[in-house]
Amino acid sequence: MSPEQFLPLMRDPLGAPIYPPILQALLVITFVLHFFFVTLAVGSSATGIYGSLQSDPRWQQLARIATRLTPNAIGLGVVSGIAPLLFVQTIYDPAWYAANALLGFWSVLFIFIVAIGYALAYFAYLDQKSSRRRIIASSFSLALLLLAGFIMHAIATVSIYPENWQAWYAPGGIIDTTGLSFHAIQVPRLVFVLPLSAGLSLAITLMLFAWYFQRRQDADPAFLSWVAELGRKLGLYLSPLYALFGVLWGLTQGAELGIAIPVTLILGIVGVLLWLYFRRLRDPVNQAVQALGVFAITLVLVGITREAIRSASLARFNYNIATYPYQSDWAGIIFFAITSVAGVVAVVYLAQVLYHSGSAPDGGEVPAKTESIGTWAIRLLGIWLGIFLLAGIWFSVQ
Amino acid sequence: MYIALIASFHVLVSHLTVAAAWFNLYLERRAVKENQPEFYQYLKKSALGLLVFAYVFGALSGVGIWFSTTAGNPRGISTLIHSFVFYWASEWYMFWIDVAGIIAYYYTLNKVSNRTHLKLAWILALGSTGTLVIIVGILAFKLTPGAWLATGQSLDGFFNPTFWPQLMARFFAMFAITGVWAVAVAAQMPKSSPYRNEIIRDASAFGLLGLVLSGITIQYWFLPAVPESARALLQTPAVPSITFTLIAICAIVVVAYYLQAIAWPKVQHWALAVGALAVLFSGVFGLERVRELLRKPDIVAGYLSSNQIVIQDMPARGIKAEEEALNQTGTLDNLPFLADSGSPMENGRRLVTQQCSSCHTTSTQTTIKVGQNGLALRSVARLFQERNMTSPQQIETYLGALGGFPYMHPVIGTQEEKAAMAIYLADLVAEFYPSQQGAQR
Repeated sequence: MSPEQFLPLMRDPLGAPIYPPILQALLVITFVLHFFFVTLAVGSSATGIYGSLQSDPRWQQLARIATRLTPNAIGLGVVSGIAPLLFVQTIYDPAWYAANALLGFWSVLFIFIVAIGYALAYFAYLDQKSSRRRIIASSFSLALLLLAGFIMHAIATVSIYPENWQAWYAPGGIIDTTGLSFHAIQVPRLVFVLPLSAGLSLAITLMLFAWYFQRRQDADPAFLSWVAELGRKLGLYLSPLYALFGVLWGLTQGAELGIAIPVTLILGIVGVLLWLYFRRLRDPVNQAVQALGVFAITLVLVGITREAIRSASLARFNYNIATYPYQSDWAGIIFFAITSVAGVVAVVYLAQVLYHSGSAPDGGEVPAKTESIGTWAIRLLGIWLGIFLLAGIWFSVQ
Repeated sequence: MYIALIASFHVLVSHLTVAAAWFNLYLERRAVKENQPEFYQYLKKSALGLLVFAYVFGALSGVGIWFSTTAGNPRGISTLIHSFVFYWASEWYMFWIDVAGIIAYYYTLNKVSNRTHLKLAWILALGSTGTLVIIVGILAFKLTPGAWLATGQSLDGFFNPTFWPQLMARFFAMFAITGVWAVAVAAQMPKSSPYRNEIIRDASAFGLLGLVLSGITIQYWFLPAVPESARALLQTPAVPSITFTLIAICAIVVVAYYLQAIAWPKVQHWALAVGALAVLFSGVFGLERVRELLRKPDIVAGYLSSNQIVIQDMPARGIKAEEEALNQTGTLDNLPFLADSGSPMENGRRLVTQQCSSCHTTSTQTTIKVGQNGLALRSVARLFQERNMTSPQQIETYLGALGGFPYMHPVIGTQEEKAAMAIYLADLVAEFYPSQQGAQR
């Protein structure tokens, strides 16, 4: 059976619940959010270890901050990863499920690797007594996070080569159900999405950290300037490598799939523009939010390019998202829309409270305007739950 | 087994987050309204534990179920995703509220006004309840898809016949879990604290009431709502009788634990509470196993069998049952990853992997090896060996009769394919039990 034959057979007969390109857009948007947090977790974990090994007290201080940030970044990375996981399974089900089965051992182990990595990161944060123990725990945690990233890279790569699936499943005609082999690794892509992206996510976060704490009277301005400048320099040195590995990604996998020019151009130009931006950045403390915006655009472009690579690869076998069968599930869509309103208001309020609480060492005053958002968040969640349960009663009675 | 372990852990921690959010809200309301700031000592300890342990591990283990079921039964998880992707995406917002909420809750304690912090407690309680009500609809759907089988409409599947009893049973059970957690946290407070004993008593009362109400809901609402055919499975070997004994013992131990905690709050120690939590985990494991077994031999009762074959037409969604057609044409070269290798032995291996590996160990490759010993969960080789069926002929006959068991689905495919499966299975028995085979020869 050829990929053209088995890919449609592997699609779920229920089809998608909405016009599939909408799910594709949601996939890219939510992936970008997830990507930022997981790469930040890797970057902050590395900073925590490196800083702890330095004698400079500024590095030591930064290491403590990074060690505190890492488990929270992992937690947010895990949560933000749920949505892209949902959407990829909906429109790329043959590719996602085949890749997971082919890497069965690793895909099952994946969550344990992340869980232990997270537990060790938290252990490192909570252990205030021994810096040696902290470094050891952080090092194991970082190693596990990198392994998790490597596994996800392998799954993503395997998923876009359906022409090799049967051979990987039954090498030499004998099926291999161990799921131990990684099968396909794309080095330029791996370097681009893991260490380099981790460094850039960290660079932006360091600037944001300085921007956030500059309003605190107890904060040391010299330390904050140093942190922000460190972020700028990190961005400045990594962005040329980002461009280089982006180009290499385009010239290897992009060329293999027939889209070398767009991939090479987009990733190369993005890297160069990022380098120019960091080069011209004069005030990394006060321009941190602007830098976050620039990086967000960068990540969206990378997310779109990554999606284009997947689409191009599967299109070789006539698998197109636009032609994926669908039947609109209006109940689900409306439910999602209503939840989006309540959910976004609640999360905005939580972020606002966190922001204001850090304005002084002993906390801060939350403005009345923010308080009213909180009141609305509670009301909306209450109404949401009420509608949900009433709908349930109505359906049950029916 | 592996999925069940992850799932039970997930149930334990995710259920904990919901009721713990409500219990913390209860205490925080009292702290604000009665001006009792001492309660914040408990809330801080509890929040840190929930942040480090429950919320993130809850999310992680939830994703863990996804990954393990994806590897084990992709079409099963695919059916759920394609039916309820927007419901799950809605739950995603609730996860955000949960995780961002507990981070905000813990890190802003004593840093924002008590009134503001109380709002965070409300948001956490409502958000975590949101995750519960959504996931229950999806879980209950697998057991009782109800009108969805005819209409194909997501709401019909979501608000299915066991939605309400399962929602209420879980909601009550959450307090049984949270009670133990709260005692473990409060027991670490200084014994001189005037609120330590009060919190332990309150938590134990909540827990005890939750346990009793959960048991009543399961017995008198959930089980009667389950189809008769599914209830009959409880009397078959599919559910080992020790499961019920285990659940009963766990319930009795936890009831006793709560009673002694109410009677002697002063002597409570966190280690004892952790022990009670372990007992609860065993009980949850037993209950979740029973719930999963109730829908055997299907993944989605009446729609998708555990060997990933659609077993019923659904005209509303333009879906045709696959079973009959595959019995006519055969599965080799008609299902993905089932190419005809030309060798009966290799074909048998492929067919057995496709049809049996969702529930059984079907190869030495997937046996968990610890030193010289192998752990083969629900091994087909062992099942045949125990029944003294070691020749291809005996096994082929047995395969033909499998549909007669209420918890097994008939083997799909042509007679020739069943013969190939029997050849492979006989070889597998010999591979697993070489000495017995030699002795018999």
